[in-house]
Parts: sequence; C-alpha cells; structure tokens
Amino acid sequence: MIESLSNPLLSANAQGWSLCRGGCAVMCAVLAVTFLSGCGAEPDSQAVVRDNGDIEPARGSGNLKLSGKLVLTGSSTVAPLAVEIAKRFETEHPDVRVDVQTGGSSRGIADALSGVADLGLASRALKKDEVEQGLVGHQLAIDGVSVIVNADNPLSSLTSGQVVQLFTGAITNWSELGGEDADVVIVNKAEGRATLEVFLNHFGLKNEQITADVVVGDNQHGIKTVAGNRLAIGYVSIGAAQSEADLGTPIRVLPVDGIELTTENVASGAFKITRPLLIVSKGEPTGLAAAFLDYAKSPQMHDLIRAQGFEAVTQ
Amino acid sequence: MRSQPRSAAADALTRTAGWAAVFVVLAVSGWLVGSVLGHGLQEVSWSFLTSEPLDAGRNGGIGTVLVSTALVLSVCLGIAVPLGVGAAVWLSEFARPSSRPVALIRRSLDLLASVPSIVFGLFGMVVFCQELRLGFSIAAGGLTLACMILPLVVQTTFAGLRSVPDELRLGAAALAISRSTALRHLLLPAALHGVVVGVMLGLGRAAAETAALIFTSGYVTRMPESLLDSGRTVSVHIYDLAMNVPGGEARAYASAAVLLCLLLIVNVAAAVLADRWLRHQTARVS
Repeated sequence: MIESLSNPLLSANAQGWSLCRGGCAVMCAVLAVTFLSGCGAEPDSQAVVRDNGDIEPARGSGNLKLSGKLVLTGSSTVAPLAVEIAKRFETEHPDVRVDVQTGGSSRGIADALSGVADLGLASRALKKDEVEQGLVGHQLAIDGVSVIVNADNPLSSLTSGQVVQLFTGAITNWSELGGEDADVVIVNKAEGRATLEVFLNHFGLKNEQITADVVVGDNQHGIKTVAGNRLAIGYVSIGAAQSEADLGTPIRVLPVDGIELTTENVASGAFKITRPLLIVSKGEPTGLAAAFLDYAKSPQMHDLIRAQGFEAVTQ
Repeated sequence: MRSQPRSAAADALTRTAGWAAVFVVLAVSGWLVGSVLGHGLQEVSWSFLTSEPLDAGRNGGIGTVLVSTALVLSVCLGIAVPLGVGAAVWLSEFARPSSRPVALIRRSLDLLASVPSIVFGLFGMVVFCQELRLGFSIAAGGLTLACMILPLVVQTTFAGLRSVPDELRLGAAALAISRSTALRHLLLPAALHGVVVGVMLGLGRAAAETAALIFTSGYVTRMPESLLDSGRTVSVHIYDLAMNVPGGEARAYASAAVLLCLLLIVNVAAAVLADRWLRHQTARVS
C-alpha cells in the first residue's frame, strides 16, 4: 500500500529534481564567478599603478602610452568634477581607468595617506599635521561659501558681525535686523563637512558656539531646507547656491560686507569666504597619477570646472 | 438589550477607523508614486535608459548605472537566496525548534535584521574591499548587500516553512518519504509564497540601498567590464543627483521613476512565476 502510494510521488521527484538542480547550477555559477574573479584580483589595482611607477610621462604631453588604473576617493563636492575630468582623460588614454569614489574630504585624506586611494579629493586646505605626514595638496579649483536666505526674506545684505550674531544666537528674531517679527531658524552643517569648516574659519567661530535649529549634510540638503522655510538662514557652496537660484529655487544669496557673489569677485580674491578644492597625494606623485594631475590642472579643464559651479585657479 | 446599540456603534466606529487607516495608507503611497512618476516620467526615454551619464548626471542617461545595478543585485541574490533558504530549511526542518542554539540563532537574526545598513557598509568595506582585496567593486557591493538581506530571507522563509501544517510532515513520514523529498515536493512548494515575499523584500531593500554601496560598489559610472569593476547603482545615482549635484533634481526624479517601475515589474514577474511554478508542481503531484 505504502509503495503504491509513494511511487507516483517518487516519479514526480525525478523531474522536479532537474528543475531544482538547474536552479542550483545557476547559483553555483554566480558564486563561482564572484569568487574566482575575486582571486584574479589578487595583484590589486595599486600594484598595476606602481608597476607603471617608473614611467615618467613628459609633463603635459598626452602622446605617451599610458595604461593602468587610478583610484581617487574623497570629497563629495569634488567628486562630480573629478568624474568629468576622469572621463575626458580616459577618452585620451583608452587603456587607462580612473575610478572616482566619494565619501568626504576626511576620507579622501585618510585614503591618500593609507594608500587605499592613489589620489585623494579634499574640499579644504590641508591641516598642518596632514602636511607633516607627507601629504601634498594640489589646487584644482576654488569654491566659496555663501550665506543664503529664503527668497521671501526682505533682508538685502548682512555684515560679518551680523552673521556672527545670528549664528551664535545673539540675534534670535528677524525684527532685530529690520525683518518680520519671527524667530530666526539657523541651518548649520553637520560636523565633518568642509563647508562648515570654511564658514567657521572665516567668521572665527567654533561649532559649539553655533545655536543651530537644523543640522544638514550636503549642499542640496541645505538649499532645500532654506527654500522650504521662509525664516531660515544657512550657508552652502557658491556653485550650488548660484545654480539653484538660477533654476528658480526660492533662495537668495546675501552679500556679506557688501561683497556680491560673482565669479570675478571669487577669482580676484575679493570674495573671501572660499575654500580650495584639492587633489591630495602622498609625496609628489609619479607615473599615471602625475600624468592625471597635470591634466586636471591644465587650462583645458576650465570649462568642466565652471560647469560644476566652481572657479578655476588662474596663475 | 441595552448593550446592543452600543456594540453596533462600536463596530461602526471600528469599521470607519479601519477604512480611514486604509485610505490614509493608500493616499500616501499613491501620492508618493504619483509624485515620482509625475516629476520623472517626462524625462525618461529610450536614450535615457541606454546612454551613460554626462555632466555629473545632469545630462545623458542611466544605461551603465542600470547594468551595474543589475549586476550588484544578481550577486546579492545569488548569494543570499541559496544561503538564506538553506539556513531556514535547517532551522525549521532539521534542528529542534525549542533547542537553545536555534533560539540563539533566531534571536541573533532578529538583531542582525535591525542593524542599520551603514554598519553593513562599513563591515563590507573592511572585509570585502580591504581584507579580501576586492576593492571598490560590484562583487564587494553585492556581497555586502547579501549579508544585509540574509536575515530577512532566512526569517521569511522560516516563517513560511513553519506555517506549513505539521500534518504534512507526519503524513510524509508515515509514507516513508525521506525528509529531503518531502521538503522538495511538499514543504518548499507550500512555503514558496513566504520565500518569494522574503526575496522581494530583500530585493527591495537591496535596490534602495545607498549608504552601504557608496563604500563598497562605489561611484563609477563607466560600463562595468567585470564584477571587479566599481559600478554606481541607481539609488546611489539618485542620492548623488539629489544631494550633491546642483541642478540634478530632474534627472534624480527620472531615475527614481525608472527604479520604481523596474521594482514593480520584478515584483509582478516574481509573483506570476512563483504562481505558475506552484500550479505546475501541484498539477503533477495530483
């Protein structure tokens, strides 16, 4: 009785099994590909670059045959620009791969130091101890920080003193500056953001002194917060502020101490709340990294730099 | 007698509250989907789906990003589903459910499922990218996501298997059908719904991931040539466009609309396939 019952089940097994085995085979294949290709990676990307280390390309000339892989990590502000430069570099050197990764200036500096990345990206000047550890900063472009308010805010300009009073909580109501009778909403940047450091440095503030109502991460986050709150005041990078204002986002860039935010004022140094955008190397770069660096600093990159809302460095 | 109208009123109240809750849930999700599709769909075209991003994503398309996303998710599911289903089968069918190790494993799975994704990202960066030398790569990203969704797949499969009545197991045992045969032909088909739900939830969570992937599969928009290349997924792309690229919002919406449609298609396809497989299977047995 048992056998006659179980037989049809067992015969169904044979076919079901093959379906099951098919599935297993696919999964095994995925596993195998993942791990086998993992083993293939053993001579890692940096070794490839170091193998090319002895190739000294003629400075600024692109006719030398370059190959290998370059890894850049760091500032989320510089990363989109670096991607565009990398893409143009790759079209001129088809055997080269330049991988740009993001994660913040601190990450870029740490990765350049540890060798995880061939070059780091940073949107602030290097600190003394970082230079002492052998890091070299190569200026790629300039970015500035500008104070923004909601488009409905009647204020037309601020002095440095007023900015400090606002952000330290000495002024808490817009009526004290001639605005409406309502509380000021201070939008500050999160710890570790390069724009925060530029802002604090310029106004001689410490982060603990700032009475923040909202703490934001990226520039876009800051812009959205200020655009959505007519009592808010914050600060973001100039490129971000300008292109958003051009797009009609309801924010306004406030001149500080009467200095308007214009590309001329930034390039001439009149607009002072600025920060350098750097490519960071450990020691002087060689080989592929040096070739890329020269390329990134060449005048042919100025259109890309401006397209991302930054100012080029002109010597 | 007097309690009658009062309980009727209570019933009416409960029903109204239930309807209101359903309405709010539907309205919110409808609003979300409508807003994303409304903002995004007009930018979507064939060339948007097939070309690579230009000018930091403000122009061009998301073709290469879609390929990277598909690869990352394939690696993730290729690892997480067999491991997860296998673990759930062991927990449910071979281990004694009341034993301490099983309780411990289940407790730690609960814990693991609630770990924030950024923690998996940091873990993946250290273990897969650095220790195993995978670097920023699709493989590293997929493996990190696999770790992330593994508890989810195990839990839902386990729940699916436990919901199969014990009579089936006893019946199979009485017929001297081996455990593995019973598993293949009775228990797994009966639990298939749970498995599919688990895999879909895992897929959704994996496809939505940004934090863990920025550190592992990375930010590169070039067409990937192998699983060892870095590749940007759609969610990372949306995040970058929305938060980091001034003027990137329109393309962020377009990418979000594409992601939403793809997830919808995959969800429906999985449900249909599972249903068809199940019908096929039961037709043959009966």
